[in-house]
Parts: sequence; C-alpha cells; structure tokens
Amino acid sequence: MVGVTGNTMSTARHPSSGGAHDRAHDYRRRLRRSDMLVTLFWASLAAAVAMFLAYGGTARFTSLGDSVTNIGIIAGLVGTDLILVMIVLAARIPFIDSTIGHDRAIAVHRALGKPALYLLLAHAVLLVTGYGISSGYNPVAEIGPLLAIPDMPLAFVGLGLLIIVVVTSLVAVRRKFSYEGWHLVHLLSYIAVLVAVPHQLSVGGIFAGGSVERAYWITLYVLAFGSIGTFRFAEPLLSSIRHRLRVRSVDQIAPGVVSITLSGRRLRSLHSAGGQFFVWRFWTGRTWWHSHPISLSSVPTDDTARITVRDLGNGSNAISRVPVGTRVWLEGPYGVFTDAGRTAPKLAVMVAGIGITPVRAFLEDSNIRPGEATILLRASSQDETYLWDEVLTLAKSKGATVYIMVGKRSTGPRGWMPASDAERGVTLRSIFPDLDDSDLYICGPTAWLDLVEAEARADGLPEHQLHMERFDW
Amino acid sequence: MRVRAVLGSVFASAAILAIGWQFGSATAASLQGADAGPASTPTPGPSSTPGSSSTPGSSPIPAPGTSSAPSPSPSAPQSGTFTGAVESTRYGNVQVQITVANGAITDVKALQLTDDGGRSVQISNRAAPILRSEVLKAQSAHVSSVSGATYTTDGYLSSLQSALDKAGL
Repeated sequence: MVGVTGNTMSTARHPSSGGAHDRAHDYRRRLRRSDMLVTLFWASLAAAVAMFLAYGGTARFTSLGDSVTNIGIIAGLVGTDLILVMIVLAARIPFIDSTIGHDRAIAVHRALGKPALYLLLAHAVLLVTGYGISSGYNPVAEIGPLLAIPDMPLAFVGLGLLIIVVVTSLVAVRRKFSYEGWHLVHLLSYIAVLVAVPHQLSVGGIFAGGSVERAYWITLYVLAFGSIGTFRFAEPLLSSIRHRLRVRSVDQIAPGVVSITLSGRRLRSLHSAGGQFFVWRFWTGRTWWHSHPISLSSVPTDDTARITVRDLGNGSNAISRVPVGTRVWLEGPYGVFTDAGRTAPKLAVMVAGIGITPVRAFLEDSNIRPGEATILLRASSQDETYLWDEVLTLAKSKGATVYIMVGKRSTGPRGWMPASDAERGVTLRSIFPDLDDSDLYICGPTAWLDLVEAEARADGLPEHQLHMERFDW
Repeated sequence: MRVRAVLGSVFASAAILAIGWQFGSATAASLQGADAGPASTPTPGPSSTPGSSSTPGSSPIPAPGTSSAPSPSPSAPQSGTFTGAVESTRYGNVQVQITVANGAITDVKALQLTDDGGRSVQISNRAAPILRSEVLKAQSAHVSSVSGATYTTDGYLSSLQSALDKAGL
C-alpha cells in the first residue's frame, strides 16, 4: 500500500497562507528580490568593464593593435563574469531558488552559455590578433609566443574544455547523451573555469597584486565556488546524513511507474512544500554514481516520504529496481511549484502523465477553499492514470472541480488535448472560465506543456500567474 | 515592476562605469605627471629582464657609487657607468644604465623594464635587445621605436637620454 500520508499535517504548516493580502505581499517581495537580482547581474557586468576603464582603458585605444587587444580584454572580462553568474545560477542557492525558481534560474543559466562562450572565444581570437598586429606577426604565428607566457597554456586548456562543455549542452547534441554522461562532461566546466584563473591574474595588469580589482575578482570566484560547495555538496551531504533515508518499499502502480516509499527521521524539518522536488541518489552498485530530480508525490510525514517515478531512461529504470533497505541521499527541497507562488484568487491546475506527482503533493499541501480550484487531468491511455484516484479523493475533500481527458493527442496547437475534445472546440478558457483570475499550474512532459503554455500566453495570461514544472532534464 | 529592474540596472551600471572611468582618468593623469617628476633613487632590484643585458648573470652594479664624476665638461670624453632616471609607464617603470668608454657608449643595461603582467614582460624581453643594439649602433637616443613595444621604447629612450645627459654626451 503506497498511500501513507494524511491530509491533516499540511494545513498546520502554513497558518498564514491563503489570505489574499499575504499572497499579494509575498508576491511583491519576490518581485523586489527579483529586480534586485537583475540589477546585481547588470551591475556585475558593468563592474567588469569598469575595471578595464579604471586601468586606464580609454587612453589605450591609440593604435589598431591596442584597440583590438583592448576589445579582446573587455570580452574576456565580461565573458568570465557571465561564467561566474552561470555558476551562481546553477548552485541552487535558496535565495535565488525561492525568488525566481530553480527552473528559471537554469533557463537563464542555459541562455548565458552561448554568449559566454562566444565572448571568451572572441577574447582569445582578438588578443591573438591584437598581439599579432602589435608585434608584426600573423595571428597564428602569435600563438607560439603567447603560449610562452606563463599560465597561458592552462588558459588554452580551459577554453578547450569550455568549448566541449557548451557544445555538449546544445540541445541537438545533448539529446545524444544520457543525462549521466552529459552531467559528467558538464563537471569539466569547474576545471575549465579554474584553470583560466592564473592567466587572468598574471598576464595582464588589471588584476595586479594587491589591487582592489584583484580582491574583487577573487571574491567573485570565492562566492561562485563557495555557493556550489555549500549548496551542491556540503549541505546535501549533511542533510543526507541527518535524515538517514532508506528505501522501505517499491510498489508498481502502473506499467513502468513505481512509487518508492522511504523511511528516515526528522523529515518534517526539511520544510518541503507540496510540489517541490529533491535530487535523489540511491546507493546501489548500479545507481550510486548518478542522481535524479524527482518530486515528492505526497507530503512527507516525519519518518516517511514517497516519490513516484516513471521509467524515462536507463537511470530511472534502474531506480525502479532498487532493493528495499537501499541507503538514499537527497538534495533539496527545490522548486517553486508550490502554494507559496500563487498570486491570483483562483487556482487552475493542468497535469499530464508523470506530472501528476508534484501536483498530488501540491494539492495535499494547498489551502484551497471549496470552489476555488479546477483541475484537469490528462492521459493518453488508461495506463497513465496512476495516482488519479488519490487526486480525485483529495479534490473531493477540498471541494475542487476535476476534469479528465483521456485519449490520443490531437495535432497542431490543440495537440495538448485528445482529438475528440479538439473537435468539440474545447479550449483552455472553456475548461477554466475564470482563467484571468487564476494561477495556472501546469505540470507534465515538455512537448505537451509547451503547447499549453503557448495557448495560455496567447490568451493573455500574465507571467506571474503561470507556474510550470517540466518533466525533462 | 520590470521597469524598476531596468532602471536599477541602468543606473547602477552607469554609476559603476563612471567610477571606473574616473579612476582610469586619474591613473592616466598621474602617469603623465610622473613622467616629468624627478628620478627616484635607482632601484637595482632584481628586475625580471633576462636577455636585456649582453652579459648574462652579471650581478647588479652598485650604480650610485660609480656614476660619479658629474662635472659636465662637454669637451672632455667621459668614461664610466651612468644610470638614467626611472621612467614610469602604464606598464611599469623603466630604467637603463650605460657604460661609456672615451665618450662612446659601449653597453646599455636595463635595470628595470615594463613588467606589468606576463604579456608586458614578454614584450620587454623582445624589445630590450633590439633597443640595445640600435642604441649602440646610433650612439644616441635617436633610434626608431620597436613596434608593439611603444611604452617600453619611450621609457627606455627617456631613461637613456637622462643617462646620456649625466655622461655629458
């Protein structure tokens, strides 16, 4: 039996949530923090350029060679700043996570990858060219003398590694890798970033020993790698040791879908809200080396937690076969697919496939009044209706309306619904008449979710009323 | 609310850039001032300039002692070593010392060369031997600049000229 949690725990944990006033207040606070983060980002880029200016930059555009070199230096400074921002965004710092959400942080992280690489490639090309013009060599011949400068060979190694990391992360290339393989390659980025540090400090004069610029630059590195070390390594390790999670049972609830119940201690002190996810690591010989983001499928009690996994890849396939008693490490909780993210008086929830898991926990944790919430459950066949019974029970007890859609998908922009419903002219608005006054929570496979999101945006739903959790990596 | 983020970013960035610009201008101005300033005491410290001297491994010469005989009598041919002024450049200080025998420059030694970062050291190491041989050939500070080493050349020749003045050449 998999359903181990009751509804009674959840309401006590959010004594103040649900009120419209608190909701607006929380929303304004998140916006303030978000604006501050955006400002900090641009300020850090400006600081990178300002350090060049403070070094007497403008006086140095006197010859062609110097001008090319100087533009290259600026490109390097800004590109490196972007790289450090990317590290901070990937560090899962709670402040950033709770402000803009882990998924948006990762989206920004991804969006910065190519610009950062282009800037650093430009840095290399422009400096080789600029130096070449100054000393009368062609750029290729300049590479030899450049490599003779101490710390420069390492910098070239760093650039090479960075190219590998970014290229393997391009969507088209990434699909060819398993998540684990891609992740291992991605870890090279730490090395790529670190081996580039010596040449920054020694080759140019901007970060001369004892200068404020040098102190600032090193501080940025300490902050970025300190965040990674703290929130990606130290904190999860301590949390895993403290909570002593082990697999208690593995139950198949549908073809290819298992619910894993974990036993541990003091789980309530994790303060996970319904709809959040953890990154799990199962310590068996086959699975210990990779970890997986999986949502809780119910609100944990103090000594049990439950996750539900679908066999999406080799990794989770192996996870569905872990033996009872396996030691489990966790990282989290992550994600803003929670009640705390709400900004509107009504609630609209759309779920497809394995996306049911966070929604199941979210509903359990949510303080909804009767008539406040409308839920749409979507599956392509009866095999995919796992956990629906639990959601229906929860919806009934909380007075929420539930619609279900089962059947093969339609084509085109209506592809998120079954063909029969598309023919009847069903739309997002016909399912959720109060859409404008609703927070829309969408959870499911990326392709499906993209279609729903497109329709919601076309309907003019504001950004802050859209809450999404994509099930991919 | 997005407007606030945009405005905050614009103003914060502009302020930071303006501060950087100010510091840069101040640095440039102070360097220009330093060019005209008096030569500080020679610092024959270990300037990282391998290859700048034709006598590798020679220990730093106690410059102040030997650069005596300052009486400028233009007619009499001079002999001895003369240390030039320290010239500040954007990429570090430059100072040269010349050896004169019977009114002819027989050697130029760089006591300090531009060394602000590895790239700067590399440029100095490339430029110094060229400048030295040019100076020995021309027997004056009137030699053409080494391309790609403008700051080093300017500092080198200025310091050289002050040494030549001391030598009365």
